[in-house]
Amino acid sequence: MLLKVASDWLHRTNKLERTWLLAKIEFKLRYYENKLGLFWALLKPVMDIVIYYIAFKIILKSDIPAFASYLFIGLIFWIFFTEGCGGSIQILQTKKYLYEYSNMNKLEIYISTLLSNSIGFFFNTTMFFLFYLFLEPESKPIGINAFYLLPLFFNLFLLSLGIALILSNVYVIAKDITQIWQVFINFLFFLSPIFYKLTVYRQSLPGLDYLNPVAGLIINARRTILENQPPEWQLFYFDFGYAILFFLIGIILLNRLGSKAAEKL
Amino acid sequence: MEKNIALIAKNIGKTFVITEDSHNTVKHRLFNLFNPPRRKKVEALKNVSLDVNKGECIGLIGRNGCGKSTLVKVLAGVYPTDTGYLKINGSTMLMNLGVGMSHELTARENIYVSASVLGLKIKEVDVIFDKIVDFAELKEFVDTKIKYFSSGMVARLGFSIAVNAGADIMFLDEIFAVGDMKFQEKAVKVFESSWIAGKTVILVSHSMFTVERYCKRTAYMKNGELVFFGETSKAVELYKKDNQ
Repeated sequence: MLLKVASDWLHRTNKLERTWLLAKIEFKLRYYENKLGLFWALLKPVMDIVIYYIAFKIILKSDIPAFASYLFIGLIFWIFFTEGCGGSIQILQTKKYLYEYSNMNKLEIYISTLLSNSIGFFFNTTMFFLFYLFLEPESKPIGINAFYLLPLFFNLFLLSLGIALILSNVYVIAKDITQIWQVFINFLFFLSPIFYKLTVYRQSLPGLDYLNPVAGLIINARRTILENQPPEWQLFYFDFGYAILFFLIGIILLNRLGSKAAEKL
Repeated sequence: MEKNIALIAKNIGKTFVITEDSHNTVKHRLFNLFNPPRRKKVEALKNVSLDVNKGECIGLIGRNGCGKSTLVKVLAGVYPTDTGYLKINGSTMLMNLGVGMSHELTARENIYVSASVLGLKIKEVDVIFDKIVDFAELKEFVDTKIKYFSSGMVARLGFSIAVNAGADIMFLDEIFAVGDMKFQEKAVKVFESSWIAGKTVILVSHSMFTVERYCKRTAYMKNGELVFFGETSKAVELYKKDNQ
């Protein structure tokens, strides 16, 4: 019964099509407008990896096995998170043309922007697997646990959506949020286990893997792909809890503050 | 709710808070720490109630600054109301000199995005795409970004999308000022043939000729209040009296 109602709704409305159309256009605007084009989307994580590899492997002599792949996973999760949140702070201003002339639901604008980021994530993940399988000298075979990447990505998507909603709606009444977020994200970057060894990270900053919502995602992604183990379940549920909480706060703010975006921005 | 009602508004009110003296620079802010900017409340809409039936063409008249544009934005669901009850039955489109378009996108992309925002599926847009382009007289510029268009070209494109895609409820704010004379004639023709028949239209205009010609019922506003809502001839009479 419920399924029938849902499928009827999907056939009648154009919401899904519209969200995908906006995502595609967003993706095109972001990458095809520049000289490097889509190449840049692929080049960005590779360049980051090279920088951190030199700093941590060559200079600081980190003893993490398969370090380049270890970094790669951490960075593709981190890049999605920062682009999804930071890139969406001014979304209600830049995408004003979509809602100031009609009663379109603003949530669709957010979802389409994050979908466009997901296309980048998909490219990066494909690159990672190619790298890991064919170039990484210390690679192990990828097992069934790698499929946990899907729920982990969904978690990352929901978390980024929630935080993007919060930031962009606060932006309606306080523009300074852009600068504050830049400082905060810099702080969070160094408090996330992107290039640290996990045991060192947990010893030095106990409890932070639970406090930092991105840390658990990165830790679990590595466990499932590089070590072929199921995720740490407690951390897994904790991170889903964060994502749902932020999403709910974001929706409340969208209704309270976002509804005034057309007149305030 | 009755099925043939497109829009119901009961006692809706809207107040804007305006800061009179904003301290934009850090220096200005520091020197005025204990002297916060003065705030003023402007009551743009006071207890407005009206209902619009499906397929009806309603006129909205009043002098400049009486709250017409605010009312239209509230009824279209773009602005939230402060008080009262508002029920919108269907998709809305607000149109003044243009509809929502991004200057970073090409005409083709804008057509797909705007039509999609108005509720059309991609296949439906495919069908009317050529019609939109031909009507806007922009065949050679379909794949040009509209930031390179003249203002007239942008307006024509917006008008053409609105004409051919259309939402369930259309709010038209002084739309007959678009384009050159030839385009205006065409616009009026389309307006008569496709919008008056079948679509719900709220027409904001200073041209009494237009309002009297198309609207059976008209709302007359003054200082944020709906003074009269009913027969067009009476509303026009009141408006003319106010202008004397």
